[in-house]
Parts: sequence; structure tokens; C-alpha cells
Amino acid sequence: MTPARASDAILQVAGLHTHLGDQWLHRGLNFSIGRGEVVALIGGSGTGKSVLLRHCIGLTRPSQGKVKLFGENICELSRERLNKVRSRYGVLFQEGALFSSLTVAQNVAAPLNEHARLPPRLRDELVAMKIRLAGLPMEAANKRPSELSGGMKKRAALARALALEPELLFLDEPTSGLDPISAREFDYLLRVLCDSLGLTALMATHDLDTLWGMVDRVIVLHAGKVIADGPVKEVAEIDHEWIRKYFSAHSGYR
Amino acid sequence: MNSTPPSLHCVAIDQGCLLRPRGRWCIDNLELLDRLLRTTPVPHDCRVRIDASELADLDSAGVMLVVNRLRAQGVVWPNIDLVDFSRHQLALIHLVAERLDARAQPRRRTSAMLPRLGRKAAEMLSDLVAQFVFFGRIVEAFADVARRPRLLRVREFTAQLEAIGLNALPIVVLMTFLIGVVFAFLLGIQVQKFGANIFIADGVAIAIARELSPLLTAILIAGRSGAAFTAQIGAMKVTEEIDAISTLGLSPIQVLVLPRLLAIIIAMPLLTFVGDVMGVLGASLVANAQLDVTYYTFFERVKSALPASTVWFGLAKTPVFAAAIALIACRNGFAVQRDARSVGEYTTKTVVQSLVAVILIDALFAIAFPEGGL
Repeated sequence: MTPARASDAILQVAGLHTHLGDQWLHRGLNFSIGRGEVVALIGGSGTGKSVLLRHCIGLTRPSQGKVKLFGENICELSRERLNKVRSRYGVLFQEGALFSSLTVAQNVAAPLNEHARLPPRLRDELVAMKIRLAGLPMEAANKRPSELSGGMKKRAALARALALEPELLFLDEPTSGLDPISAREFDYLLRVLCDSLGLTALMATHDLDTLWGMVDRVIVLHAGKVIADGPVKEVAEIDHEWIRKYFSAHSGYR
Repeated sequence: MNSTPPSLHCVAIDQGCLLRPRGRWCIDNLELLDRLLRTTPVPHDCRVRIDASELADLDSAGVMLVVNRLRAQGVVWPNIDLVDFSRHQLALIHLVAERLDARAQPRRRTSAMLPRLGRKAAEMLSDLVAQFVFFGRIVEAFADVARRPRLLRVREFTAQLEAIGLNALPIVVLMTFLIGVVFAFLLGIQVQKFGANIFIADGVAIAIARELSPLLTAILIAGRSGAAFTAQIGAMKVTEEIDAISTLGLSPIQVLVLPRLLAIIIAMPLLTFVGDVMGVLGASLVANAQLDVTYYTFFERVKSALPASTVWFGLAKTPVFAAAIALIACRNGFAVQRDARSVGEYTTKTVVQSLVAVILIDALFAIAFPEGGL
């Protein structure tokens, strides 16, 4: 898939700089993501993948530059407008970030209660469907997050992220902490959901199998810049020291 | 975006019926869609054709509603023909229909009175057992330390002694001093009526040394250090630090509980004694200003009216208070589960339980030794 044209871009990052501590973490990042693309963000630890995701979600502001979501610069939006934009994307945090005092069903119902006025019966029906969509058995609905395995937590968090029918999904290390089998299953689930629900996804990941398996495009962060942006096959061929090491780390273990 | 309101038309055609959904079939119109689907009768014994040519938008919530409502009307999935849907919409419909196949609505948690009562009772019983088990583990740890004194964590012990004792000193001083002032002031009004001004010294000294200072200090420490113990140990439990201690071959009781227990047992009588002194000092001010009892006369009177045994009796209660607070606080700390609400819940529990325990123990002392130290 070719990089999206600016007109149909869902997410656009332009000239983004981040000053963190006493150094520049990002020094002018530029990329954009078009509708329906599944994009992975890779880079060594400490290159600011998670920070960049937090900028895109609107949790933090970059020191300079623009983040445009659905064509609106989220750094300049008022709180109400930002909350409106927020209901159009879902976020899957690294550890799931499920509300620990609520059951899975209540967790999934939480965004619905806040943003969609639905009668309880319809809401419960919707919650049950989302839980099934995320590949959880219905018995999990009444469990608390502490009673779930790592893989089930991620699925429950995914169900919550999908609750409001988002157009865009942000994922922070979706397969970290999962065994390889669960990780591949989760990748497959994500791909199926993205294809059928027409989702656009941006994920920060370290998982090479995820890259080869389900991603349309890879963006490589290195030393505060985007050093590569394109399909996995093309990026893997690029002659850059870090990229070479990154992709050969994979074959080394095989 | 909301240009055409969603609608649904059902037309009979030669081999069945044709459904024509129109507009946006999305989550923001869900209630309206539900009404449409319920009020449109669909014959269930023939083929149903759904024509999407006028459908503006479709999301998984809309699909779910169509699938569930048609199923509720008895329309079987293989009898449905989908016409004019986009590739994406077809994929979405197939995914949702397939996932909804093995459908079971989530059961609601029962919250009837009787099961709740039973659960609560069972909980209390297991709480009590756990408390005894915990006590046993502490005795065991004590026995280990008695055999090998080097097992005691001296640095942790002194750090706790500072946190519990030294840092609590200002607030204990302030509180008991003020209580002495207030108590002397109110008692002074009464004794003045009888012209028995000098008895202010008897009343204040005995009350403060025997009851007020020990009890107030214990309550203060229960709120201050008891809550801290539970929160500290609970947070360590959440971050798995306690498991890390165990895997290093150390006993969490040895490392975390014993230093706190010893420190609080030692700090409490010391604080109480400071409280005794400050209370009497506060009372002497009032006696001097309000009742014309000079400092010299006041303290002479205290010396003869307050036997040392009363002071000792008051101080002797405090280690028992301290032990009860530490036991409850540490036990609750270990009982914290790995979720965010749990720490707060157990900290609250600690404060409530240890206050009750302190007052109960105090009552027991009063009943067991009615003449104690008098």
C-alpha cells in the first residue's frame, strides 16, 4: 500500500518535536496514515514510540509541530471538541489498563455509558457482542481483570477500545507479555477486526512476527527521526545499520 | 452526517420478502433502529433478501441488531440473501453473525439479601481464621529471631521507630497539651463551685495518666501509622515486591512485619509518656490562670495525688494497643489484592478495625483492673 495522500489521511503528524528532560526526543517527525491502513511504529527502546502515541491520542502535547486527527489539529482543540474526537478512536494500552474494580462487562460498558445514550437492555446486548468480537467466551464477562490471563486481559481491553465503533485504533505493544501462540492469535484477531470493521490502526510494537504477519506499513523511528516508512518488505531491505540489526535479530533466533 | 434518518421497508416479492434498510445503521441511531426492526414484521418461513443499495453506513452495532432481531423473529441465517453490500460490509456481517452464533447473555451478578449475608458471614469467618494464621506466623518469626538475633532488620527497625515515634512527636505533644488545657478548664468550672480548686490537680493528673493520654495516642497512631503500614505493604503486594522478598529466601514477615511491630510497641509507651507530661503541663497553665493555683502548689499536689503506679498502669496498656494496631494493619496489608481499589479498601478497614480494637482492649483493662494503679 502506498503512503496515504494528505487529503484522505486520518492521522497526520507534521514537524513534531518533543523536548523531554534536557534532550530532544523527536526532531521533526512527519508521516500520515490513510483510512484502512494498519501501520506499525518500530524503534529501539527509548526512541519515543510510546511518547509519540500519547501525543497522537492527545494525552500530551508535543513541544512543536502538529498532530491532526480526522483533519483537526488536536493540540489546538478545546476540551469539548477533543472529547468529541476522542470518541472516534479507541486505545489499547500496554497492560490493558482495565478498570480493576469493574467486571469485564462493566469495563466494556463504561465508554458506552459515557458517550452513547442507550437503554440498558440494548447496551448489554452490545457489550455481549463486543466481548464475543474480541474472542472472549461469555463466561469472562462477569470476571474481574485480576481473574483473567494476560491474553484475555488484552482481549477485554480490545473489546473496550472497540465499544464506541471507533474508526481508528491506537495500540501500545499489543502482543507484549503474550506467549507466541496467543500473540499470533491476537494478531490474527486484530487483522480480521481491522478488515471487517474497516479500522485504521497505529501500533507501537517490538514484535517482528506481528510486522511480517499483519501490518501494511512500517514506520521506523531512530534518533528522533523517521528513517523509513513503507511496506515491511521494502523497509527490511533498507541499508541502515539499525534496521539491518533489527531485522537480522529475527533470523538469528530461527 | 445525519442527513437521512434511518428507515426500513419490507416488501413481499415472489419467493419471499425484501428488506430495504435506508440511512445510517450505526451506533448513534441504535434505539431508533431497534424500534424499526421490532415493528417491521418479517415472515420467517421464506427467503429474506436484504438490499443495501440505499444504506448509507453500517457498523457492527447495526449488524448485531439486524442479526439478533431477525433471529428473534425466527429467520434463519442461511435463508438470508445479501444484495448490494460492499465487500467490507459483507466481511463485517459475516464476522458479527459468526461471533454471535454461540450466544449467551451474560448472567447478572446476584445481589439478593440472603446470599449477600451468607457471603459476608463466610468472609468474616475466614477473616478471623486468617488473622489467627497471621498471628501464628508472627510468633514463628519471633521465635526465629529469638534463636538468631541477627535476623532482626535493625536498619528497618530504626527507620520505622523514627517514622512512628519521632515524627509523630509534634502532633502528640500538641494534641495532649490541648486536651490537658480543655479538660482542666471544664473540670475547673466544676471544682470551683465547691471551692475545691486544688483538686483540679488530682482529677486532671489521674485522668490523663490513666486513660486520656494512652487512648488518644493509640488512636492517633492507629490513624497515622496503622494506615501507613497497610498502604505500604499493600502497595508492595501490588507491585509483587513481597513475592520478590520471598523468592530471595527471606520471610516477608521477618523483613516487613517484625520491625514495624517492635518499633510501634516501643514507640507507643514513649509517646504516651510525653503525652502524660504535656497534658499535665497544659492543665497547670489553666490551673494557674483560672483557679489561682500556683505552679508550685499544682505540681506538689500532683506529686502526692498521682501514684507512680497509675502512670505505670496507663503506660502498660499501650504496648498491647500497639501490638493490636500493628497486627491488624500488617494483616490487612498482606490481604490487599492486585487492583487499585483494594489498597484504599484495606487501609480504611485497618483504621476502623484498629480503633475498635484499641477501645475494646481499653475497656477490658478497665474491667479487669478496676483498682489498677489507684
